[in-house]
Amino acid sequence: MKYARMGAALAAIAMVATACSSSSSPSSAASAAASAAASGGGGGAVVNVKIGIELPMSGGEAPNGVPTANGVALALDQIKVPGFNVTINQQDDAVNGVHNPQQGAKNIQTLANDPTVLFVVGPFNSNVAQAEIPVGNAAGLMQCSPANTYPGLTKTWGGVDPKTLRPTNPDKIAYVRVATTDDLQGAAGADIAYNIAKAKTAYVADDTQTYGKGLADVFATDFAKLGGTVVKRDSIPGSTTDFTSYVTTLKSLNPGYVYYGGVTTSGIGLFRLQMAQQGLQTIPFGGGDGISDGSAATKSSFLQIAGTAGDQNTYSTVAATHDIPNASAFADAYKAKFSTAPGAYSAAGYACAQVFLQALQAVGSGVTDLKTLREDVRAYVADPSHSYDTQLGKFSFDANGDTTQHIISYYGFDATTQDWKFLQQRDFTAKPLF
Amino acid sequence: MTPATAPLGRARLSAGRWNLALGTIAALVAAYVIMDLGAGGEGQAQFINALTIGAIYALIALGYTMVYGIIELINFAHGDVFMVGSFVSWWLLTTIGFSGAITDPLLLGVILAVGFVFSMGVMGVVGMIIERFAYRPLRNAPRLAPLITAIGVSFILQNVIQVGVSNSIVTTPQIIPNTTLNIGPVSIRAINLFIIVLAVVLMAALQLFIGRTRLGRAMRSTAIDRDAAQLMGVDINTTIALTFFIGSGLAGAAGVVQGLYFGVTVFTLGFYAGLFAFTAAVLGGIGNTTGAALGGFVIGFIQVIAAVYGYGVWSEVVVFTALVLVLVFRPTGILGQQLGERA
Amino acid sequence: MTGRRGTGPATGGTAPGVRGRLSRALSPATAFSGRHQSLTTVVTFAVIGIILPVIVLFPPFSGFGTQNDWVGGFADAGIFVLLAIGLNVVVGWAGLLDLGYAAFFAIGSYTYAYGASPFTGVHIPFWAMLPVGAFVAAAFGILLGAPTLRLRGDYLAIVTLGFGEIVPAVFLNASTLTNGTNGIVGLDQPSLGRLFGVGDFGFTNPWPYFATILAIIAVAFMLLSRLENSRLGRAWVAIREDELAAASMGINTVTTKLLAFAIGASTAGLAGVYSAAKLSIVSPDQFNFTVSFTVLAMVVLGGMGNIWGVAAGAFLVFELQSQGLKQLNTFIGSLGLPSFQLGPITVDLATINFLNYQYLLYGLALVLMMLLRPEGLFPSRRRRRELHESPDEAERGNVELSEAEAVEP
Repeated sequence: MKYARMGAALAAIAMVATACSSSSSPSSAASAAASAAASGGGGGAVVNVKIGIELPMSGGEAPNGVPTANGVALALDQIKVPGFNVTINQQDDAVNGVHNPQQGAKNIQTLANDPTVLFVVGPFNSNVAQAEIPVGNAAGLMQCSPANTYPGLTKTWGGVDPKTLRPTNPDKIAYVRVATTDDLQGAAGADIAYNIAKAKTAYVADDTQTYGKGLADVFATDFAKLGGTVVKRDSIPGSTTDFTSYVTTLKSLNPGYVYYGGVTTSGIGLFRLQMAQQGLQTIPFGGGDGISDGSAATKSSFLQIAGTAGDQNTYSTVAATHDIPNASAFADAYKAKFSTAPGAYSAAGYACAQVFLQALQAVGSGVTDLKTLREDVRAYVADPSHSYDTQLGKFSFDANGDTTQHIISYYGFDATTQDWKFLQQRDFTAKPLF
Repeated sequence: MTPATAPLGRARLSAGRWNLALGTIAALVAAYVIMDLGAGGEGQAQFINALTIGAIYALIALGYTMVYGIIELINFAHGDVFMVGSFVSWWLLTTIGFSGAITDPLLLGVILAVGFVFSMGVMGVVGMIIERFAYRPLRNAPRLAPLITAIGVSFILQNVIQVGVSNSIVTTPQIIPNTTLNIGPVSIRAINLFIIVLAVVLMAALQLFIGRTRLGRAMRSTAIDRDAAQLMGVDINTTIALTFFIGSGLAGAAGVVQGLYFGVTVFTLGFYAGLFAFTAAVLGGIGNTTGAALGGFVIGFIQVIAAVYGYGVWSEVVVFTALVLVLVFRPTGILGQQLGERA
Repeated sequence: MTGRRGTGPATGGTAPGVRGRLSRALSPATAFSGRHQSLTTVVTFAVIGIILPVIVLFPPFSGFGTQNDWVGGFADAGIFVLLAIGLNVVVGWAGLLDLGYAAFFAIGSYTYAYGASPFTGVHIPFWAMLPVGAFVAAAFGILLGAPTLRLRGDYLAIVTLGFGEIVPAVFLNASTLTNGTNGIVGLDQPSLGRLFGVGDFGFTNPWPYFATILAIIAVAFMLLSRLENSRLGRAWVAIREDELAAASMGINTVTTKLLAFAIGASTAGLAGVYSAAKLSIVSPDQFNFTVSFTVLAMVVLGGMGNIWGVAAGAFLVFELQSQGLKQLNTFIGSLGLPSFQLGPITVDLATINFLNYQYLLYGLALVLMMLLRPEGLFPSRRRRRELHESPDEAERGNVELSEAEAVEP
């Protein structure tokens, strides 16, 4: 007891003392940067600017945020913009281990209040984005989400106009994303089920979350439009571990295909494993990029959890082009820096950083006022005529802020490599499903 | 303080033994009929699913109800003890070097026995440590203080596993072969049969321990009146520590079962498992071990029936609505006794 | 006289006898301090409203963010202060353990979403929605309370926990009415019209929100402190201490408990309306169990029963979660500590990502706080006496009680 009190007191003293000594550094750095920017200009002085990262970094959501943030850090390591020194201002929107819209909105405000922050990578979750878009819009700070796929964030969806998310400046775009929206992935899933797996009936489930439900809804609609029949539409809470009763129901329905919208952490691999345990591994099984998270050797991946039997006859899609020339170079560089394999969204984080760095390169030279620079970067990225050469391929953003790259890659499980094998890719701009 | 809880054992049972048995049978028949109507020919399989998940809830619920019975603490960390238990068994099995089914029955039996004894023992000790450092110092503090430390301990356990082991889903070895046994008209997978039998054996052993042994008597007397028990020579600290050991050990057993049955575990597993198990304990009448077991099965059946009828997302709502209804008509749970008043 | 029963009736004007005479003798003084109590509250909050934004301009606080960052954080912290003082009514004063308090917060938020968003097409001003949200939440409090409040102790706790899980589940799954998991977006912002030159509050300027939440809290404080010393407040204490005795003294325990539930819920409703308006969205996963547990932890850590302590506890816990733990990396990195050997492993604090450990540290903080000060940081005098009792303290306590419980910053 006594020691505990003493320890606490010491810690408190230490905290105050060191906080005092270190306190002035961030603000003085900021003012130094500002003065450098003001005096710089032609003299070759380096302007210190920052890229904000706003992702869930702690608790159960760390696997989402950390590899994505690493992708950004890798991009800053590898790509330099002359005249600028780009560093990171990182914020975490997880509170008690769960992504939190309130913390997200506060983080964007914090980033907007830091004059050196010109661009933000994030957020990861759609409902955090809903809280952040109004703030970023009001502050004129461009955000690039590596992972949001909910269509309603950028285009009219379910009768909701995205302009309601931008009350301050309804016509000013301050949010773009590099991932194609759920409507296309759901359509691709239906394409696989009907045209590749040749299924006529399907059981459709989702994990009740925005992403999973969006995918499953579109799948169900498009599968029916193609001529198939949805035998049952289930929603299963993401906290479920016991799927046995759902699988037993599935057994009695005996569908030709199972589509599950959601992410691996919601237990989709477990669903497939329990299907295999009840002898249903011959029924083909599909999902979106939420289950395309590495080979059977990758820890915690869908393929590892589903097990050897469950992996058979599984399909997934990825909302990006498959033939990226330097994919393995990226993976190697990532592994060299962080000593793990890249996460599902590392390349997307990298691409967002590339968008910023290319925009900065285009508008940055000679601009010294950070406020002007921030608005210039925003305006440049919001302009649909500009395109970017990134880790995810070449694309630009349309007037809504969505990527113009509407390519979905189809994957199927391959038993020899124990990994997803590329089947084909479909460009939905050139070749829509309907 | 008024006499707080139902005695943990046989005294209660004898009075309503026949009512209980008949009621249980009637409820099971009704559940079977409901499932068979909704499950399109898979009624029997769904019934077994419900029994299995119910058995897991029951094992966890026993720990809640025993701790509550003896020190009137809602041990919010208990769900996380279950979660850690599943990781202990994962660690043991992967360290020994198993990754799939063991077909040799003798070896399987030995490994299962070692796995259960080890996990139950480790979690029992963890439970005692938690009690010693987080709850015992607060035995005379305001009632809510240990509740808050319980929440704190729950956070700590989760974070230790998250940072120390894995921040995502971990696959565990399923060493029981995936074979289906046909016993007369009943077709059941070996793992389901194993879990149901194991749970029944553990619960029966617990009843015998509480009802027939000296230590069990000490636990019952401490639950009824701690001061009087102390005056009669019962070592209160040891008895409470023992209660935590047994309760946490049972959660550890449930953790092993989790790994064997589902083949996965994750550090966030504890909350919902704990929530449903705690609900089971309250539904059955908190402080009453038979009630906790019964409550576990009731919740298993409710969840499976909800899923069968396509209302899986509403299963939580149905469980809690059932809880409210039971408590409104029987304010102390299905088998509970009148509780004392507490602030 | 020792123990709970000894101090209980002393607060009560309902109790006849010696104590009754005592409180009658004190009543002019109480009335006087009561009149000034509201003034004191207003002045205190005005001072807080001036001091807080100024203090963050100085080290060590200035190192962690700009003034606007801090004020924005305070405007969020206010939500939890409001929630905590509301839960304090239920848990601290009436002694009813509520583990699903976030449900009322959710109901308040969704009420605002229905009353002021493009989703319904209705646009009622924020200021009018404040009382509406409070009223709707209170109605649900009564709805939940009516069948369940005859349950005792922990049975009530689990029912409220269940309610806390059911409400977000309904908002999630009844998707035709609530837009399900996508939530309702584009909620109207508060607006003062042309008053003070503040139009819509906007998303970048935290000051109007800060002022608003400060005002809401101040009003809630005035009303609640008055309740605490009212006939109702004393009835709550009586029920908390001994329900049977309270009932036999003529207190209608059901109505009294229902009122505690309703008043607690209405405070959460206020917090919900404000939070929804500030965030401009509502979605079901904002209201999970962690909110309920966090608010309960705030109440207990702050010192149950003491409204000022509870408010301070809420403020500190919120700042710890949203500022302190998030800044640990920056902070530890700035220490420049040398790496050291811990057995076989070298520990370099600068390279450890403390964000990974924030849950652990929060858990440790909860445990250590409770072990060191089980009565909370700023306990009400009653609680402190219960824990550290000596006869003469108890005697003195009886006399001091009426004003002592009210104001204790």
